[in-house]
Amino acid sequence: MEHFVSVFPYIFSALPLTLFMMLASLLAGAALGLLFALIRIRRLPVLRQGATVLISFIRGTPPLVQLFLVFYGLPKIVELFGLNINNWDKVVFSIITFSFIGGAYYSEMFRSAYQAVPTAQTEAALSVGLTGWSSFYHIILPQTFAILLPLLGNSVTNVLKETSLAFTIGVSDIMGKAQLEIGRTYGVAALQTYLEVSLIYWLICLAVGKGVILLEEIFKKGHTGLA
Amino acid sequence: MFFDLDFALKSFPEVLGGVPMTLLVTATSILLGFALGFLIYSLQARKRRWLTALCRLYVSVVRGTPLLVQLYIVYFAVPPLLHTLSQRYGLPLKVADIPPLAYALTAFTINTSAYMSELIRSALSSVEAGQMEAAQSVGMSAWQSYRLIILPQAFVEAIPNIGNMFLGLIKGTSLVYTVKLVEVMARAKVLAAYGLRYIEVYLVASLIYWGLSICFEILFKKLEQVLRVGSRKLKAI
Repeated sequence: MEHFVSVFPYIFSALPLTLFMMLASLLAGAALGLLFALIRIRRLPVLRQGATVLISFIRGTPPLVQLFLVFYGLPKIVELFGLNINNWDKVVFSIITFSFIGGAYYSEMFRSAYQAVPTAQTEAALSVGLTGWSSFYHIILPQTFAILLPLLGNSVTNVLKETSLAFTIGVSDIMGKAQLEIGRTYGVAALQTYLEVSLIYWLICLAVGKGVILLEEIFKKGHTGLA
Repeated sequence: MFFDLDFALKSFPEVLGGVPMTLLVTATSILLGFALGFLIYSLQARKRRWLTALCRLYVSVVRGTPLLVQLYIVYFAVPPLLHTLSQRYGLPLKVADIPPLAYALTAFTINTSAYMSELIRSALSSVEAGQMEAAQSVGMSAWQSYRLIILPQAFVEAIPNIGNMFLGLIKGTSLVYTVKLVEVMARAKVLAAYGLRYIEVYLVASLIYWGLSICFEILFKKLEQVLRVGSRKLKAI
């Protein structure tokens, strides 16, 4: 128990890094997801097939393997173009991997949410004289977002849990610090340390869940069903 | 050399040899996870407030922590627990005798059970209440109506989700090398470190996982198609 308290500040000090990885991966992942979704909704030739294969690959292989592929493979690929990224921080490789994983999953979410908004909404918007862009921005997008919200919580917590893999390439996030501490003390307090780690992850997940519920409350306002 | 195709081809059969272990862990955890998940679901449905709260806490904690951390906790929690038990009750259990598979299955079963209990709940609630009323109105007992009417329909609804869970577990098994269980990923890691050819070997491993995922995706789609037969729309004439 004594150990439980004394290790906590050390592990807790890595919380900003974990949260940073989570947020950066989320944002970059959302951008990638939008791109993939756009490619597939607009049915752009060649790009569409490429995106489909990439998404299938990402969804069909373990995040751990993808992390290793990016970490060992990306430097070699950009080397062909005469760039050297071997000294990039390992956090960057983690974020790149988690962004692509997120992007693959979000693109499906975006696409299905977008397609769940009836076409009649666009027709109605155009018929009252809105331009194409403003009908999308004012009419379609808010409705798409409202459909997406309940799914948002799951994807945020999934990214959070994925970041726990980053220590395998040497990132000192919560999990990485825990590993270091366990190595330093020869595994005496391994169980307590991992329990602490899981407590931190769990609390973040609870907070995310609460946050999403709050957001839903806010965005439900405009929506009135027919019934 | 940028990419050693020879090495990749040579390591393929070696990495492929880990597939049975990967599938064993996946299938067993799905089955055990289903049993435990069903137990959790039925405890939750009892409407005892403290029981429901306890089950909710369990599901929330398991869903809110990474699988990897759960694996480590089982790995470090079980041996002292077993040691204490064997000392207190004089059981002939030796910590060193625990096979790595036991750790992996315990952790994966716990993880699956939490998601499974949610899945079972949503599958059962997807069957209309009218089905139960109809079954009982033609004289079936509660057990009969569950067995013959409700469960077959709920199962078909659950198949896509079970499929997703199965695919997720296949990918999740890539973590069990941390408890020294040798499957696809563990073999890949050893080979990669041995030949210092990381990209080749991990590419091979990812292709194997990808292939497995695609195969099982098709399998579950087919299973759903076959079982959905009963729910075809009635033709008027």
